[in-house]
Amino acid sequence: MRRSPGAMLLRWSGRAVVAAILLFVLLPGVVVAISAFNDRAILQFPPQSWSLRWFWRAFSYADFAKGFWNGLTVTVWASSIALVIGSAFAFAIHRYQFVLRDLLEGILLSPLIIPHYTIGLGMLILASQANVGRGFPLVIFAHVVMVLPFVMRSTYISLENLDTRMELAASSLGATPLRILFTVTIPLLIPGLLSGWLFAAILSFNEFTATLFVSSQATQTLPVAMYNYVREFADPTLAALSVIYIVVTATLLTVANSFLGLGKILNVDAH
Amino acid sequence: MLMRTDQVTANTQSAAGEKIRPAVQLDGVTKRFGDSVALHEAWLKIRPCEFMTLLGPSGCGKTTLLNLVAGFLEADDGEIFIDGDLVTETPAHRREIGIVFQNYALFPHMSVASNIAYGLKTRGVDKKEIARRVDDALALVKLTGFAGRKPRQLSGGQQQRVALARALVIKPKVLLLDEPFSALDKNLRGSMQVELKQIQRELGVTTIFVTHDQGEALSMSDRIAVMSAGRIRQIAAPDDVYRRPADRFVASFVGDANVLNGRLVERRGDVAVVSIGDISTSVPAAPIAAVAIGGAVDVFARPEHLSVTPHGASGSLSGTVTTQVFQGGHVDLLIDAPRIAHAPILVRVPGIAALSSCPVGAGAGLTICSEDIVAFPPGEAP
Amino acid sequence: MNTRPFLGWFVSPAGLVAVGLLAAMLAVFQYSARTYIPGTLAVGGFTWANFEAMLRPLYAMAFWNTVLICFETAVFTLFLAYPLAYALVRTSSPTLRSFILIVSVTPLFLGEVVRTYSWMIVLGNNGFLNTLMLKLGLLDRPVQMMFTAGGVIAALVHVTMPIMVIMLAAALSHIDRSYEKAAESLGAGPIRVFMTITLPLSMPGVVAGFSTAFAWTFSAFATPQLIGGGRVSTVSTLIYQLGFSSFNFPFAASLSIVGLALSLAVIALLTKAARPLERMAGTT
Repeated sequence: MRRSPGAMLLRWSGRAVVAAILLFVLLPGVVVAISAFNDRAILQFPPQSWSLRWFWRAFSYADFAKGFWNGLTVTVWASSIALVIGSAFAFAIHRYQFVLRDLLEGILLSPLIIPHYTIGLGMLILASQANVGRGFPLVIFAHVVMVLPFVMRSTYISLENLDTRMELAASSLGATPLRILFTVTIPLLIPGLLSGWLFAAILSFNEFTATLFVSSQATQTLPVAMYNYVREFADPTLAALSVIYIVVTATLLTVANSFLGLGKILNVDAH
Repeated sequence: MLMRTDQVTANTQSAAGEKIRPAVQLDGVTKRFGDSVALHEAWLKIRPCEFMTLLGPSGCGKTTLLNLVAGFLEADDGEIFIDGDLVTETPAHRREIGIVFQNYALFPHMSVASNIAYGLKTRGVDKKEIARRVDDALALVKLTGFAGRKPRQLSGGQQQRVALARALVIKPKVLLLDEPFSALDKNLRGSMQVELKQIQRELGVTTIFVTHDQGEALSMSDRIAVMSAGRIRQIAAPDDVYRRPADRFVASFVGDANVLNGRLVERRGDVAVVSIGDISTSVPAAPIAAVAIGGAVDVFARPEHLSVTPHGASGSLSGTVTTQVFQGGHVDLLIDAPRIAHAPILVRVPGIAALSSCPVGAGAGLTICSEDIVAFPPGEAP
Repeated sequence: MNTRPFLGWFVSPAGLVAVGLLAAMLAVFQYSARTYIPGTLAVGGFTWANFEAMLRPLYAMAFWNTVLICFETAVFTLFLAYPLAYALVRTSSPTLRSFILIVSVTPLFLGEVVRTYSWMIVLGNNGFLNTLMLKLGLLDRPVQMMFTAGGVIAALVHVTMPIMVIMLAAALSHIDRSYEKAAESLGAGPIRVFMTITLPLSMPGVVAGFSTAFAWTFSAFATPQLIGGGRVSTVSTLIYQLGFSSFNFPFAASLSIVGLALSLAVIALLTKAARPLERMAGTT
């Protein structure tokens, strides 16, 4: 269609705007990636000479390795515990009426609006009052509290979409509630449970603020280790680590998109 | 340029009065989606003030054609004219059309009055004039007093009327309706059809109406364009479409039709004589022009074109009654006659006598009692 | 017949977690009204001193500063996220859609530290922007962008964009296209269609996105801490300073409470102010 000059102008300026914004979004990632290959030990852009040594340092630096394993430990424990507790609770609020239902739900969803530093502070104070050290249990508990809302939401939505007639059919065939739960309900909920677990794990692994408050030197996770490093050193090691982070995450998401379609999960596909 | 068959058909099917400039004209308009052709070289001339219906099953291209006229789709080939102006390259918001969507598409965030006023605002009509015309429009669709309501407060039928008012208040050159009544229940549909026709006649607005319901098409249209698989099969008045279908698709899509095995006996100018079993009848010669004398033809006889006689009477075809369906004012009979037809033959008998005179299992004779029989070359595809 | 077969098993663990969380929050409340004993973690008797101290200009400014930063961040994020969300939902190219989706969503999964750190390289005196402008001859000397509120806001906008894009895209994708077609058929050009149809109907999403952006930014810590470097004072950095450097838990607790109350108040205000907008969209 031969469009008027006005319409053409609109089209191209629209494209320019979107391109500019995408540039803004990509800028830090690109800059960090290039800086990671700088040979010199300062944060400089653009690099004068190139090297891979910061990548080796990223892998070999003790605190990073420790932080990685600590983080993994915390994450696996926290997201798994949150999965069991959160999805069970979501089941209860979806299907049952009981005293304190709304109150409990409100309390458990509140971490969505309470700043993480407040949660961290609270846990810290509580720990010192109860004379509990800043060990793994404390960190794991804090993480469970913070990722629980996401697991709850994800499971709740899956339950909404579940056709209860299948459970009724199983019941009519003689299955006890427990059997129905394990042979019908849970298998059907697996996609929702899995995505909830995954989301919780990613958020937990990357969680920084509350962890900063409740972790100690022994239990610090990777984000905390990275933070401490930045405050001490000004070399591109962290840039290299960031690059690794970005590449792994982007790859995982691209794969997830081609298999599951992120648009559908995030509810942004056209209707 | 060589005249194509479609073009010739379009020209010959346009009756007298073609000297008047058509309100809407499509010249060889084609639309493709990827590898498939949604509309294949459509040639169409719609007269001013005409109520033209595009009729066909889903996927036939009727909505595509409508969207091309509206300007929501760009034609891959061909030209489109509205009121003599070439509009093929004109974007939708500059064609003077009014459109009523299947789901009405009333702006939920605006009142009824604002909805109707929208098209006037874009044309820069002044406030006083807008108020006046909105009132007139509401009166036209019998919704005076509803100006302040919101769409979600209205029933389906009322929303329909607001959508119509909104499309008409701008005095469009063409009014387009995309299956507007499909969401309404049967009774409401009937009264809305009557109202629409009245309004259309009163305003004299050229109208293109899309539907898959042949009853709707037959009752409302000045002319019908029957479509299937992206092509226009026939453009004619309802009466002609029903009694003189141009091909077997039209014959079977519009109204019920029985397909009987016949044989071409002879040709006499415009008319051909075909035999079915022991009886013979005359049919238009044009559709079977390619068949040799003695060759097989498929004879299309509508249920009301056949009548039942006592079994074995001379000059009749014989078969067995397999099913009776009481329809209130008439009785439908399904008659099995394997040598004459592949499928059971549907006959419509007025009154209730047939319930007792033609019981299931009894033999029955069939005669042809109409002159509106048509025949086509044998085959499945139209 | 038991209509709630698993009630006890399914609710108790969650109940325990809730109790733990409640206890932590109560601890914060409790400490906010206690005296600070310098040098120890122990606390003295009950007092309002912590809350009184907040009225001092230093801390009042921090609150005001934070609200301002959150507001500006939310506004800028809205203006940048809307075109992206629109392009995401309306483009006919699946590659562009995937690209925008992945580019927008990936930052969400990178964690605060990585994202903030990359901005440090962009904003630093030897960083990307300064080097670029020096090379292009636009500057004689580097411009200080790190440790400024502007730098913090830029980074915060970048951090908040993913969630805003997702919420706006969800809202936009639910707008029935036939409304826009109807408007087009009535003579409205593309700009008019956007201003009178698309934008109003996307208002609920805009309001939700804005409120969420505000709340998230209020909770942000790593970004103001690393980029502000102690010179840009926000509620979050103040709490960390007091909690960790001086172990003044009571004051940190009182700051937390007032901060939380403030952000809830602002969100409530925003939701109220947005009601006419939502009415406009025909959803109330």
